[in-house]
Amino acid sequence: MSDSGRVLVIGGGPAGLRAAADLAALGIPVVLVERRGELGGAPIRWKYKTLAPELRPTEEVMGPMISEVESHPLVKVHRNSVVERVSGPAGNFRIALGESGGGAQELGVGAIITATGFEHFDASRDPRYEYGRAANVIGIHELEGMLKDGRVVCKDGRKPERIAFVFCVGSRDRATNPWCCTVCCGVSIKQGIELKQLLKDVEIYNIYIDVRTFGLWEQLYWSSMEEHGINFIRGRVSQIYDTGKQLLVKGEDTLVRGPFEVLMDMVVLAVGITPGEGTAQAAKALDLTCNTFGFLQPRHPNVHYDSGKAGIFLAGACVAPMSVEEAILAGSAAAMQAAKFVRKPALQAAAG
Amino acid sequence: MADAKQKPEEKGRFIVERQYVDDRRINEPKKLDAGGMDVSGRWGLLIEPRTITSFDHTLMRDVQREAGGKFIHRCFQCGNCTAACPTAEEHPEFNPRYFIHVVRMGYQAELERVRQYVYLCASCGRCTETCPREVDPAGVMAAIGTAVRKAR
Amino acid sequence: MTEPSASGLFDRAKFASNARLTAGTTEEYLRMLERMRELEKRGELCLHHVKDTYQPTTVRTLSRREKRIPTVDLWQHKSCGQCGHIPGYVTALYWIMAELGVPFVDDTNQTSCTAWNYYGSGTSNPVALSAVFVRNMHVAWQKDAYPLIHCGTSYGDYKEVRYLLVMNDELRERVRTILQKIGRDIVIPEELVHYSEWLHVIRDRLAERRKLDLSKIKVVVHSACHCYKMMSEDFTYDDAILDGLRPAPITSVALALGAQIADYSNWYDCCGFGFRHILTEREMSRSFAYFRKIQPIVRETQADVLLTHDTGCVTTLDKSQVVPLAHGYKETVPVLSDAQFAALAMGAHPFIVCQVHWHVADWRPLLQKMGIDAEKAWNEYREYVENVKRGMKPNFIRSPPRTHA
Repeated sequence: MSDSGRVLVIGGGPAGLRAAADLAALGIPVVLVERRGELGGAPIRWKYKTLAPELRPTEEVMGPMISEVESHPLVKVHRNSVVERVSGPAGNFRIALGESGGGAQELGVGAIITATGFEHFDASRDPRYEYGRAANVIGIHELEGMLKDGRVVCKDGRKPERIAFVFCVGSRDRATNPWCCTVCCGVSIKQGIELKQLLKDVEIYNIYIDVRTFGLWEQLYWSSMEEHGINFIRGRVSQIYDTGKQLLVKGEDTLVRGPFEVLMDMVVLAVGITPGEGTAQAAKALDLTCNTFGFLQPRHPNVHYDSGKAGIFLAGACVAPMSVEEAILAGSAAAMQAAKFVRKPALQAAAG
Repeated sequence: MADAKQKPEEKGRFIVERQYVDDRRINEPKKLDAGGMDVSGRWGLLIEPRTITSFDHTLMRDVQREAGGKFIHRCFQCGNCTAACPTAEEHPEFNPRYFIHVVRMGYQAELERVRQYVYLCASCGRCTETCPREVDPAGVMAAIGTAVRKAR
Repeated sequence: MTEPSASGLFDRAKFASNARLTAGTTEEYLRMLERMRELEKRGELCLHHVKDTYQPTTVRTLSRREKRIPTVDLWQHKSCGQCGHIPGYVTALYWIMAELGVPFVDDTNQTSCTAWNYYGSGTSNPVALSAVFVRNMHVAWQKDAYPLIHCGTSYGDYKEVRYLLVMNDELRERVRTILQKIGRDIVIPEELVHYSEWLHVIRDRLAERRKLDLSKIKVVVHSACHCYKMMSEDFTYDDAILDGLRPAPITSVALALGAQIADYSNWYDCCGFGFRHILTEREMSRSFAYFRKIQPIVRETQADVLLTHDTGCVTTLDKSQVVPLAHGYKETVPVLSDAQFAALAMGAHPFIVCQVHWHVADWRPLLQKMGIDAEKAWNEYREYVENVKRGMKPNFIRSPPRTHA
């Protein structure tokens, strides 16, 4: 089969994996390029233990997709690689791949799906939380790995008795990122429940602006309070001070219009979804438009897969913050569009 | 909203933003001497801090044990109860949503200030009818009253 | 420019550069500086440059911009509050300059910046404030001495009005009209320099002349809101001091002099002076200063001295201790400026020069711990005063000869 019948998928996370698996199932050869050494994207990189809203183990979703892609004869996976340059017309793209080891490759494809995912906000950029300086101030991504390992302790080995979650870190904020990351509320609440299950007597405090548990995730919010006794404080944190033993968390409880300054053992920051290096790099290589926030901009805001450029499709969190289930759907939708595109000549011939 | 009769010697009357400062935080000494200098009255006035320094759920657990208070922890502060409450309409200090929050978090100073108002609940039950989380705020009001009275 | 410290993931510049908020934050400030130079090119204002003749040193600001700090031929922009209430503050600074052989101009032809009036009573207005600012700057420029601002409030005010003058054409023209009536025109300093930044850059020279052993002195530092929170882009940061996360002055000087620095939980809080609070909300200022600053400082650190670098901060933190102590609260800590502390360390007289007797919170234990015989010094001071009463000319601190005029 000629190159133009093949599809390049950039990114091996939920969206990219779904796209690659669907295309291969349709008999379309796929080249999957992943910049890291392993497939799976954020859920694997950060060792997500379970997925909201029902706390099902991540493996139930990621496992089958990864093995489908790795075992399918029609999918060629390039790990530790990035797409450095794309040239040529739609239907006959020339791709230059670069490997982290120094190798390079050239290949041809008919269509491209960009599924380059996201990075978590680097909270050291927001000085009030002392992230990176105070021990025991961590991000939700780091907590996920600790939960997966079944061990959540303070740096000095102590079992935490009071843990605060700070919502909206690096999101909904002109100074950092002026968008909502959609999933952090739900993920933080999920983690609070898992902490309650792991550390029996721990008190959890979710300090929020709003609780955005969309759709059926709302039940997660309700059960966190009703079954697990998690506390919610509407307010903001203005400063965290490391006393050396505990963290002094200063903020305001909006509903009481009162300042609080309370000691916590651990603070978890809901660090939001931001466009990552991979997205910026792909945008450059493919000459794609990014919006002012750095996400890839589709031709129409309500139709994510259409990049506006012939033969190039978009999927997943590189377009907008979203959940794993939405990324999977997006990957499948992009796969359909790519399949239509590369099969167009054959379809026309068949019809004619 | 005028309070009780204002006494002419009302403490803190020289504080420009007086209406925002809770009476009980004002420490205005009748007689005070600072190394030979008379700092009685306004010159020796201190405003005590209002910072909440701990979250304490003891009272909430007491309330949960009283009749009607079992579901206080379900509340997510939507405000439907206060919106429906006839007493809240007339009396700005009566606010079931607020009382539930203050009790849940154990804000002692604030509780002291509002505890007298909790008994104004008419037990009409409109809050319980409208509560989306089935907290039974009417029941919780009664439970708070009981728990607070017992704790004294 | 140094790289961020290896221990920290922290890169404040990224945060600051991403801060797309309104006037006063980094991007806005840098934009203002660009426009300032444009206006100079167009001849619409005269910039008083930090010339090489001022022997400048470079520091970095919040956004890692390079800021030039002049070290000689300084025009002393005095503080009305210091001269009036904390005389030892300004004499200590002059004494240090004389000791180091740093030429300065002590001009009698300086007006108050009027910032306290502006903040305290709101009776001034942008045109008047800007005109006063430019008038002072013009005098300094004429004398070819670079303005060194003694007060944090002045410094904050000048940052504000410089921004207004550069960005607002109408304001600038109105100020020009006023200035021309008195035979002057618009001069704006290329950098606004606070005296504590100067102490920071010459701290090694202070350390060279240190006479006392300060190794057992525990210092806590309070940085003035007007210095580092207002127009936050402008103040001095140093990656070697507090990981570059908090302002470098004061702390760097205390460390250079061999003292220990203690940290406390409310370091970021205002001292309580506020803007108009000290005048209209005195009860709040006094209470805030004590309960939010003094009490936590003493309880958490048991520090020997609290150092700060602004007239208002010294006043508020010091004087606010009177009433609480009368009430029976126990926590107290002496409050000094970095200039007085450095001068004491270099052997300046505690009463004739540093005039610590004007300070209220008990400084006796501090002097004792610093190895100063306070009683002997006091007697020397009494004698000095008696001599002056009998007709002796007081010692004036004079500037060393200027390198060029």
